[in-house]
Amino acid sequence: MTKVWAIAWKDLRSTARNVPALAMMLVAPLVLAGLLGFAFGGGDSFDIAATKVALANEDTPPAMTAGGAAAGGAAAGAEAPPPASDAFVGILTSESLNDVLDVTKVKDAAAARARVDGGDAAVAVVVPRDFTAALYGSGDARSAVELYVNPTQQFGTAITESIVGQALLDFNGARAAAAVAAATAGPNAGSAAAQAAAAAFVQGGGAGEALTFTSRAPRTTGGESDDVPMVGLVLAGMMVFFMFFGASEVATTILTEAQDGTLPRMLTTPTSAATILSGKFMSVFLTVIAQLVVLLAAGVALFGVDWGRPVVVAVLSVATAVVATGLALMIMGVVKTPGQAGAIGSGVYVVLALLGGNFTGTVTPSSAYATVQGLTPNGPLLRAWDAAMRGGSLGEIASYLLVPLAFATVFFVVAGRRLGRRYA
Amino acid sequence: MSIVEVRGLSKRYDPPKGVLAVDDASFSIERGEIFSLLGPNGAGKSTTIAMLSCLLRPSHGDALVDSHSIIDDPQAVKSVIGVVPQEIAVYPDMTARENLVFWGRMYGLSGAELQTRVGEVLELVSLADRQKDRVDKFSGGMKRRLNVGVALLHRPSILYLDEPTVGIDPQSRRSILDGILALRDQGMTVLYTTHYMAEAQELSDRIGIIDHGRMIALGTHAELVRIVGQEARVDLTVDHMLEGMVERWKELPGVSSASVEDEHAELLVDDANAVLPRLFEEAAEGGSRITSVNVSEPNLELVFLHLTGRALRE
Repeated sequence: MTKVWAIAWKDLRSTARNVPALAMMLVAPLVLAGLLGFAFGGGDSFDIAATKVALANEDTPPAMTAGGAAAGGAAAGAEAPPPASDAFVGILTSESLNDVLDVTKVKDAAAARARVDGGDAAVAVVVPRDFTAALYGSGDARSAVELYVNPTQQFGTAITESIVGQALLDFNGARAAAAVAAATAGPNAGSAAAQAAAAAFVQGGGAGEALTFTSRAPRTTGGESDDVPMVGLVLAGMMVFFMFFGASEVATTILTEAQDGTLPRMLTTPTSAATILSGKFMSVFLTVIAQLVVLLAAGVALFGVDWGRPVVVAVLSVATAVVATGLALMIMGVVKTPGQAGAIGSGVYVVLALLGGNFTGTVTPSSAYATVQGLTPNGPLLRAWDAAMRGGSLGEIASYLLVPLAFATVFFVVAGRRLGRRYA
Repeated sequence: MSIVEVRGLSKRYDPPKGVLAVDDASFSIERGEIFSLLGPNGAGKSTTIAMLSCLLRPSHGDALVDSHSIIDDPQAVKSVIGVVPQEIAVYPDMTARENLVFWGRMYGLSGAELQTRVGEVLELVSLADRQKDRVDKFSGGMKRRLNVGVALLHRPSILYLDEPTVGIDPQSRRSILDGILALRDQGMTVLYTTHYMAEAQELSDRIGIIDHGRMIALGTHAELVRIVGQEARVDLTVDHMLEGMVERWKELPGVSSASVEDEHAELLVDDANAVLPRLFEEAAEGGSRITSVNVSEPNLELVFLHLTGRALRE
């Protein structure tokens, strides 16, 4: 065991002295996560595709009474106004918003939510049955537009929330204006009544907010559906992706040492090939663990990421490191030169990152892409990190680890056999 | 007493039709001697060393190293050998001391024993004052010395050196050769491979000449030279040739023939070093003076040429 640690320590020390490798392993993921997090979580001038919105209008306006319209609304005997939701839908589907919202009308709330669950829309907007009634109604009538959002598409969600919020603000403003007009039109009208109505609108109470919206995300199987900062999700993806490269950096030393003569020299010492390979396996594992710890800490320090419960983070870290280690070692077992390792390894990691969602985030479970993600070693890991950041427990993330650990087992078996045969 | 016994060792890569790199080699190495394997590039020297280092499994045959079989007990063999590979197999991003500590652990050393041996080896290879410097800042000669030092950490019974002077400057080569001779003087057994005839001639107690995987000649330098049946030729120039001097030279022990033409004489001798002082004495006694001497020794180049029909290119 002393020799295994000696080999691992030697490699760790070499990695720590390799500035370009450190930059790739530690700085690149942080910079990329910061930039992407800023772009999709907080930027204000990014060119991005229109957000897909599923719109269900369930508004059912009440019949107008002969004695008068809803309070604050139309005068007695006047023709019933059109449903207020028509104007609201008109705003969302207006040509001027085509660049930012891609609205598809669906028949009801369930259909709208299903589109979000299926990954076909980022946001479902559900106009409630009492929308018009609340706007034209009197007193404490309230109605809330529902926004059902994909939590991983925060940029699109934020845009939709902003537009919906502004539209409802306009409606509430109009309602307040009507109240003011009604107050000043009566026989005892006075400026005091008008000011009171206006103040109620401005202060957000009384007649001011008849229409609001609520925003919610689908519940994950394990988490608490707390909002996760975009930068946390991005950093998790970048962390796993660059751990592949970190593992590869150290695992490639098996091939470079074979080329440089130090590995054959080790084999001339009374040290078995199994011990040497164990040392190499250990060094790869410890390197990616160290990389992960630094990135987790940096995520907290620089971006305020809450990774989740410590025990969950610990288990997830080990699982992620095991997968990254196994994959890198298997590639070293398959290729023969450091050059091949660099070219083939990079290709494998990028393809896996694209398939697994390192760049795009996790999607809702029922989509085809989610199925592909679930069949990669990294996709379920990202889901697990996502769940962990939402406060998921160990039991709740366990199911996500089955596929990655099965992959890791295969990776280690292949690596052990091929490298063992080569150097034994 | 033999420390290495090689018995019918063969290695064929990619059997059955691959290259036969070593073909039925048999030899022994005595304790305390420097044994050189001399041959051109591709002759099978490194393959032989690799098999004796347990890096390659022989296709046929076996070898005993300090009584341990390279096939049945490779770990025991590895614990008694020190291998200096042809390339500089140390870590450039580590210091000299860090390298030696690491390699010492690979040889099973630890604790105070490890630290003591690292210190001793640093002194031995004259790198004690540079022990904290990274190896990538060393000169080629310093790297070579460290490369040798690594193999000495565990006090091996026999040291294998696989062409350790390839591609280095004359000064570093001299330093390494002197170091090897010093190790031999301390009782170390050395197996040395080279394609430099002069190195083999200077260092070796015995030499095995290998070509195309076959051991084609084996013996001391004198024994090998005798294969070609030539004696050393001594060409002399004197200031004036005395009457009867050539006849007196002919009668000296070790001189088989002598001829004279004007002031020049040509003699065939067994051992020029032994005969030359007597030639000077005879000339001086007759009142003559030798003004120039040229000795042409029969050498391994000639032996290789004689045995293979090809030159052993340096």
